[in-house]
Amino acid sequence: MVKVSDREFSIPIGPQHPALKEPASFLFKVDGEVVVDVEPRVGYNHRGIEKAMEARTYIQNLYITERVCGICSNAHQTNYAQTVEDVAGITVPPRAKYIRTFISELERIHSHLLWVGVAAHEIGFDTLFYYVWRDREVVMDLLEMISGNRVNYAMNTIGGVRRDLSKENFPKYHKMLDILAERTKFYAGIATNEKTILGRAAGVGYLSKADMKRLCGVGPNARASGVDYDVRRDNPHLAYDEVPFNVVTNEGGDVLANVLVRIGETVESVGMCKYVLDHLPEGPIREKFSPMAKVQEGEAIGYFEAQRGELVHYIQSRGDVKPYRYKIRAPTLANIPSLAEKLKGGYIADIPIVLAGIDPCFSCTDRMVFVDEDKEKTWEMDGEQLRRYGIEWYK
Amino acid sequence: MGLVTWARTRSPWLIHFNAGACNACDIEVVAVLTPTYDVERFGALLKGTPRHADVMVVTGSVPRKNAPRLKRIYDQMPEPKFVVAIGSCAISGGVFQDCYNVMEGVDKIIPVNAYVVGCPPKPEAILDGVVKLLKSAGY
Amino acid sequence: MERVSTLDENVKVVERLTEAIGKDNVLEAKTPRARRAFISIKVEKLREAVTYLKEKEGITHLSTITGIDLGEEREIVYHFGAKNLALSVKVRVPASDPKVPSITDIINGATLYEREVHDLVGVYPEGHPDPKRLLLSEDWPEGVYPLLKTWDVNSLRKRVDGKEW
Repeated sequence: MVKVSDREFSIPIGPQHPALKEPASFLFKVDGEVVVDVEPRVGYNHRGIEKAMEARTYIQNLYITERVCGICSNAHQTNYAQTVEDVAGITVPPRAKYIRTFISELERIHSHLLWVGVAAHEIGFDTLFYYVWRDREVVMDLLEMISGNRVNYAMNTIGGVRRDLSKENFPKYHKMLDILAERTKFYAGIATNEKTILGRAAGVGYLSKADMKRLCGVGPNARASGVDYDVRRDNPHLAYDEVPFNVVTNEGGDVLANVLVRIGETVESVGMCKYVLDHLPEGPIREKFSPMAKVQEGEAIGYFEAQRGELVHYIQSRGDVKPYRYKIRAPTLANIPSLAEKLKGGYIADIPIVLAGIDPCFSCTDRMVFVDEDKEKTWEMDGEQLRRYGIEWYK
Repeated sequence: MGLVTWARTRSPWLIHFNAGACNACDIEVVAVLTPTYDVERFGALLKGTPRHADVMVVTGSVPRKNAPRLKRIYDQMPEPKFVVAIGSCAISGGVFQDCYNVMEGVDKIIPVNAYVVGCPPKPEAILDGVVKLLKSAGY
Repeated sequence: MERVSTLDENVKVVERLTEAIGKDNVLEAKTPRARRAFISIKVEKLREAVTYLKEKEGITHLSTITGIDLGEEREIVYHFGAKNLALSVKVRVPASDPKVPSITDIINGATLYEREVHDLVGVYPEGHPDPKRLLLSEDWPEGVYPLLKTWDVNSLRKRVDGKEW
């Protein structure tokens, strides 16, 4: 272990990072092995979507919102649809609300399982990664059966949903959901008992409830620090005021708490999906909305609990076929200040797992450059090496 | 076929670079590694560093801030190297054409050898793309 | 969220906030449906309003900040999320002098949102501890704010790179 010195190193990490597959960059100031300060740099994924939405009609914008993020694509599209419906004064039929809830919860399951696998990979537990992703194929098959696609399901339209669920398939869906429930409970057992996981995740990346609230963190990341905020309960949308569920929180505040919250939420989601299938109301699946319809002047804000947390869409309409201003705030941006706080005071070896712990939605394949400011020597470590560094360090 | 070429095409090492993608293509690339699709039976391994890679798998519509990084990673790969562009965004900008920050296509920054179509392409399509590339390289 | 709330929370909070900062400082208040409130106030009262919400109402969660180009003016909307309530506080500044007092010292979570608004709509957060560029690349020209209505995709590309891409 390197002796703590009073030289400060600056380490830029990114925009490639192994933890999740999106680009971002961080500048770390380190003192020996300990991280002293963190400066996040984002923008590698900035495509200019908000401006593009001002130049497209409401129906066209359904397709661009879906591709803001591939893992929470349905969350963005559903929140877009409900925000536009709010400003346009459209009431969505109950059957559509239930179907939207069903798809949203399925997407939550796929995203959390994806994350458990990737987090396992980060700490070197590849066996668990392969197991979980194999089981995740069950929910991918389910989504493909319903919508025709594994990713980007295009289920929403303004006024409701585009495809119905047919009752003949319900027994098959129930069976698949039961498999998922059983497998998830198995992983919950592993998470609480496996020494490999406990060693790398317990006590790592801790942030107190007070700090999390001060920095306005959201989602499972905030709930893992004991902040009791879930948009499904606190600002109910879709059918969440009728479908019973528990909000999962954990006082731990560390990466292990993050794991337990997400696995707990997956179990809840499976239960909610089964409830929706058993209580799906009859009726139409959409209100008519013409492709070139003008939406009345006004403003509206849409709150949605996406997989990573509170998702906010805001619209200002001027009575045209295109929105005047559309704003999207994805949950990970809200979690970056608290992420920076978590990394401070921790070890370099913890960086990948803490980063993965918040389930970031900016993909990072990383490169790590060490700068020794005194000697003006630079050397590089890539993502694989950073990961292995972390694993070796903890042996 | 020389020994090195034989070794290279029997066991291509991939590096995956996300150039501003929405992640849909990326999770399908990762899915290709998992037991259901299993790209390792072709000898392909996903590496974290460009210096060990033969094939770069690129996703994304390449926002401006990301373009120099993409070029730099490409330059760091040793010859011979191949690039596979995955998904509509990497081919032409996809649904993000006419966005002010988007370069509209990976081949505007680096040369591309194979294009895999889809939004996102299914893992089977990605496998097919990689295998076709290897065949054309003499596998 | 520990604060207790009821379903007419939106109306009640608007009334109390209006009383706290003074009726003359509220330009418009709307509660178009349950759980929604939009209130436009004078920019000079922004910090007082945010402090009031945090200390007296227990509304500390800032969801995000939106910047909008209205031509002669720029509008900045502060979106707060609470139990049974989505409260949006709106202020306007002239386009000829687009700056707004920073609230990052009151609500630490505002730091990135204020930088984003500056990048895209050009409204400068005065007093922000670190008002660096957030989203746009390092070589993006100063003073070119993409979300202004005067730019479209082609004119932006010409301006930034001197050519069509």
